Amino acid sequence: MTLRLTLVAAVTCIFLIQGSAYGHHSFAAEFTAEETATIEGVVTEIWFRNPHVRYFIDVADGEGDIARWDTRGSSPTLLVRKGWTKKTISVGDKVTIHGHLGRNDKHLLSIITVELADGTKIGQGY
Amino acid sequence: MLELKGDGPPIIGLLTLQPSAETWTGHVEGGPVAVTIDGNSIEVLVDSRDLAGFVFNRRLTGTFSDQSMSGSFTIEGATEDPEPGGEWTASRKPADRPRQAPQPVDIGGTWTPAPGVDFRKYSMDLTDKAQDWFDGYLMHYDQPNVRCVSPGIVAMVAWGAYPMEIIASENRLTYIYEVGSEVRRVFLDGKSPPDYYPPSPMGFSNGYWDGSDLVIDTQLLEANVRDFRGEPVSEGARMRERYTVSDNGNTLSAVITLLDPENYKVPPVRRRKWVRNPDTEIYPYECDPDSFYRQMYEQKKLDMYFERAKRRQFD
Repeated sequence: MTLRLTLVAAVTCIFLIQGSAYGHHSFAAEFTAEETATIEGVVTEIWFRNPHVRYFIDVADGEGDIARWDTRGSSPTLLVRKGWTKKTISVGDKVTIHGHLGRNDKHLLSIITVELADGTKIGQGY
Repeated sequence: MLELKGDGPPIIGLLTLQPSAETWTGHVEGGPVAVTIDGNSIEVLVDSRDLAGFVFNRRLTGTFSDQSMSGSFTIEGATEDPEPGGEWTASRKPADRPRQAPQPVDIGGTWTPAPGVDFRKYSMDLTDKAQDWFDGYLMHYDQPNVRCVSPGIVAMVAWGAYPMEIIASENRLTYIYEVGSEVRRVFLDGKSPPDYYPPSPMGFSNGYWDGSDLVIDTQLLEANVRDFRGEPVSEGARMRERYTVSDNGNTLSAVITLLDPENYKVPPVRRRKWVRNPDTEIYPYECDPDSFYRQMYEQKKLDMYFERAKRRQFD
């Protein structure tokens, strides 16, 4: 696994997203609209409960160090409507996650899309 | 009444203008806006937020006559879902009509939120007391629903992501909101609250039919927040909603006004739209605050959180 972290203009990278998924939380308080990143890693823990789903991801930097990323998605109630259930992603899965960076913690990501090991790409509007 | 037309559904809002010394004071949907008038040219800068909470400005420029305005608008600032800008028009708001004889329509069913309509005006015209309280608000720590506590009907009625079901029965409408699995009763027979009925997140709602519009007046609200920005709602606040079902019965529109002079110099207004969706049901919504407290723990902010407990009592 390698770390692939790219800061880009958010407007060029948003796809599959359904903004209304964020309708009720303090997203803007924690995340930036301007900066996004893409990480590749292994799922180590899943929290698939309201108010927001969380996936913890171990990301290796290629030099032997591993960083634990806290990635957050929409409410599971909204995700399951689209077919994204608690069984969609399992502990141990390799994933590539693209999302908005946290404001104060660079190991914090708000999920825009997740690419599964088989190449399937899912997003908040999935 | 303002109407913006870009690529998406129209956005509607109430613009009020008042002369103030050598300048103008303006509000959109009850929130202050910057207004510049030069001859018959007008520019209005409206701060707004997108569905993710990011704040941006809509800059409206145009011309006006006695009865109408028109022009174009652009978007400024970072937003998750940028609008392309477009054209805008405004016409004088019709005078409120007298109350009509009841003509109830079928409002029962499951309704899914539809995009557009609302300006999502960001800042409101707060009283000094409300501003003091608001200045100390930390949205990530103080927002009720992040720890699975109800944010109250004033905030929930305007959330755009979740469907709601309305069950019509004799002299009563029952609203079931998917978010939070909240239930609300609207009494259509003029019922008064029972003795000692306490203020609560959902309050006590009476409704009546004004022609084919449903008007709901809610009182006995628990002190809470207006939305996740954290502007306060006082215990003495009332909320007035006017629901209109389209002629074909498939679209439900609402104008929602918060009447809370303790906190707002001008009443905030919101607009929402839903479409009838018989193909879905209200999904269960269980909420577990564990992840919220865990984050506090991991960030060593639990002490700070509990030291701020009094803030969450709205004293």
